[in-house]
Amino acid sequence: MEVFVDGESVEVEPGATALIATRLAGRTVATLCFDDRTAAFGACRVCLVAIEGAKAPVASCATPCREGMKISTRDERANRIAANVVELVLSELPSPPAPHTELAQVAEQLGIGQPRWTGATHPVDHDVSHPYLVLQRELCISCGRCVRVCDEVQGAFALTATGRGFNSTIAAGLNSGFAASTCVSCGACADTCPTDAITESFLFDIADQAGQGE
Amino acid sequence: MTADQRFDATATTTCGYCGVGCKLEAHSRGARIVSISPATDGPANKGHACLKGRFAHQFSHSRERLTTPLIREGGTLRSATWEEAIGRIGAEFGRIRSDYGADAIAGLASARATNEECYAMQRVFRAGIGTHNIDCCSRVCHTPTSFGFRKALGLSGATGSFNDIEAAEVLLIIGANPTDAHPVVGARMKQAALNGTKLITVDPREIELADYGVLHCGPRPGTNVAFVNGLAHVMIRDRLTDLAFIAERTEGFDAVADLVANYAPHEVERITGVPAADIERAAHLYGEAERASIAWGLGVTEHRHGSDTVRMICNLALMTGKIGRVGCALLPLRGQNNVQGSSDMGALPDTFTAYRSVGDEATAQMFEERWGVTMSRERGLKMPEMLDAAIDGKVKAMWICGYDIAHSDPNIAHVANALDSLDFLVVQELFENETTKFADVVLPAAAFLEKSGTFTNAERRIQLVTAAADPPGAAKTDLEIYQMVSSAMGHELPWETAEDVMKEVAEMTPEFAGVTYERLGRSGLQWPVAPDGRDSPILYTDHFELPGGKAQFAALPYKPPGDEADADFPLILVTGRRLEHYNVGTMTRRTGNLELLPSDWLELHPDDAEANGIADGALVEVRGRQGSIEITARITDRIEPGHVFTGFHFPEVRVNLLVGPSADLDTGCPEYKVIAVAVSSVVRGGAKARPGRATVAARPTGSG
Repeated sequence: MEVFVDGESVEVEPGATALIATRLAGRTVATLCFDDRTAAFGACRVCLVAIEGAKAPVASCATPCREGMKISTRDERANRIAANVVELVLSELPSPPAPHTELAQVAEQLGIGQPRWTGATHPVDHDVSHPYLVLQRELCISCGRCVRVCDEVQGAFALTATGRGFNSTIAAGLNSGFAASTCVSCGACADTCPTDAITESFLFDIADQAGQGE
Repeated sequence: MTADQRFDATATTTCGYCGVGCKLEAHSRGARIVSISPATDGPANKGHACLKGRFAHQFSHSRERLTTPLIREGGTLRSATWEEAIGRIGAEFGRIRSDYGADAIAGLASARATNEECYAMQRVFRAGIGTHNIDCCSRVCHTPTSFGFRKALGLSGATGSFNDIEAAEVLLIIGANPTDAHPVVGARMKQAALNGTKLITVDPREIELADYGVLHCGPRPGTNVAFVNGLAHVMIRDRLTDLAFIAERTEGFDAVADLVANYAPHEVERITGVPAADIERAAHLYGEAERASIAWGLGVTEHRHGSDTVRMICNLALMTGKIGRVGCALLPLRGQNNVQGSSDMGALPDTFTAYRSVGDEATAQMFEERWGVTMSRERGLKMPEMLDAAIDGKVKAMWICGYDIAHSDPNIAHVANALDSLDFLVVQELFENETTKFADVVLPAAAFLEKSGTFTNAERRIQLVTAAADPPGAAKTDLEIYQMVSSAMGHELPWETAEDVMKEVAEMTPEFAGVTYERLGRSGLQWPVAPDGRDSPILYTDHFELPGGKAQFAALPYKPPGDEADADFPLILVTGRRLEHYNVGTMTRRTGNLELLPSDWLELHPDDAEANGIADGALVEVRGRQGSIEITARITDRIEPGHVFTGFHFPEVRVNLLVGPSADLDTGCPEYKVIAVAVSSVVRGGAKARPGRATVAARPTGSG
């Protein structure tokens, strides 16, 4: 079917999302909770675009294309909301995300520097009980990507979202740590994590040596 | 993706563990691999990996790596220069060849090495030494698959691709535990099941995938032929067959129909223990599906009648027309990264590249001309024959590469005897192991992360391997070593690089005609590759590679396995792989995987535990006809009563002491899966299970 991205005609398969259409048109709409190996989640509200006729910006990852749909990636309101969302996420972290992380790259793409908001940040809390996987809870932004790849790529069902509001985070098993959960140590969670909240021990050690966040 | 400043370099390569062939990104700092991540565009792994491929890389910079050649002197191995080691090999091989003839020397190539290296080694043996005595460890895993495929369909490889897993409505998994042994394919199968593919699992253990399937069958070990013939019986009886396909594309169906008339479900239940109703249901699930695939592992092949089972599996696909199209694949799950390729490259005693017989005059002449030598038209010795010949004094020297036969082969007391009988043994390895204990010269080899070339995965996909680090110390790649030894034997291997070797393979092998490194690129090519570079994700779309283009049915009856439970040995032991470890564990036991799984155990059904007075966690003695071992017992109802199971990754367990000489009648593949044993508690003052041997350096606990 034909849709329009910033006025440009794009041919998409039936069932394609607005996000896929923007990519086919060569746009780079920032995403945070998106992993193309898992079903659309639509939680983070970073991939917002404007759709002609819609009252408010929509999450492009979870919006199916319709014939003739007109998508704008340059909508001022959509971009402003997305930037504010990322800025709020950053404001909860005790230190800025490491440069190689997806969160740091999204922040750069959206032109966000030091967050304007001060307030509570997550306390440093590390689980290093597993030989390969390290959980740095203070960096978790509850995007749910690790939980979804664990379910939808590996099928280990080892991770779960837990807590509410500011205290929401992820846990392995019944919060017993990776080693005691159904984790099969495939590392898909560390691959998809946009903040290094789950990372691998080898890289955790490197970051430690380099004095990450200074 | 932006350049990652944590790393100095990143090399895209192919995993060196199992046969799935995951594309990996190996990241290094300085000369050392620090991290491995899955390549997002890997065709087999699709951005995924397992704890072996992505995490178990610390072995590569273990302090125990061999970094210099070793020569035995006065009973101990001492360090030596390459010049000295190669000189010694040249002199000893030369002496033995002139005293006893070239056939007194035999070699085992490694299914872990690259295609280029396997090709080089068989050329060293055939042209440099002058014997066809070259084999590889596919002998002990999937030679029955290769044999069965060549007889039934023509080519020795999976008929389709891993993508057929998701495309199938029904997936029949026989004698395999993919979530442990081939974890990335196991994950793909599990996801397919979660998305609606119906799994039928067939194994004496209730494997993890059984939880996600629609039907699990647990035939007694050694009765696979009867089980599969039972499926064929129901399909023919209930007209689930594709008569047009049978008529147009196959030969020999009537004999199969006559044979399987004797395999009514109640009769098959008597032989296999699988309820007749389950046999009916499995046959209908597979037969009624528009698209269905069959995957199998060593639970099919490592049997006295393993080749027969492969032929019977081919029968199922042929009689229902479920072959040569999307979603209808026959997928043998190859155990090692390049066990497909090592065989393709002719590291076998009876074939040149692409399974062309050494007795085929035209092929033999072509290689003779290329290599400037004359060769025998008689096949060389298969691996078990080499060992027998060593004991008989006919084979005097062996050269074993990356294959710990004193740990992994069956009947290891016999293997030790054979290695002891040799005048001269060369072992090419990463680490000292059970086999190097017998060696006269040990050569330090590069690991897969330290070399370039290609591996061929279980879906016939030839993929590039790229060095991400340097070999430690004076270690060299297998290819460099073959070139040095070949020179010492008076036959120069005329290559500068691995790519030069592949050029020779492509020129000498029609199935590889269009293979170039440039075309392999990031996604590889599935052989046969036409001269213009077109590859073959699905074989047999319009003809089979046999005379007349027709597939061959085989009518083979069930015959009992080589061993059976009796009053003295009432249980059947099956061995297999655990998720955390890989084969003899040489690599994974030197990584954090050992922390995840420090030792092995024996799985035992509660009924058998009670009958033998065994408590969970007790140290038990497992006695077989060949010997006995001690191991900790774990009681689980996920194994059929009458059976026990253990892995084979820990040398201290020495489980292969129990495996006897029984082997596949067509190929000599050992019967690792049917071993009659007795299990009893070990009573010893305060005795406890032995912990795992090695330990891994502790990782400092981090802080923020």
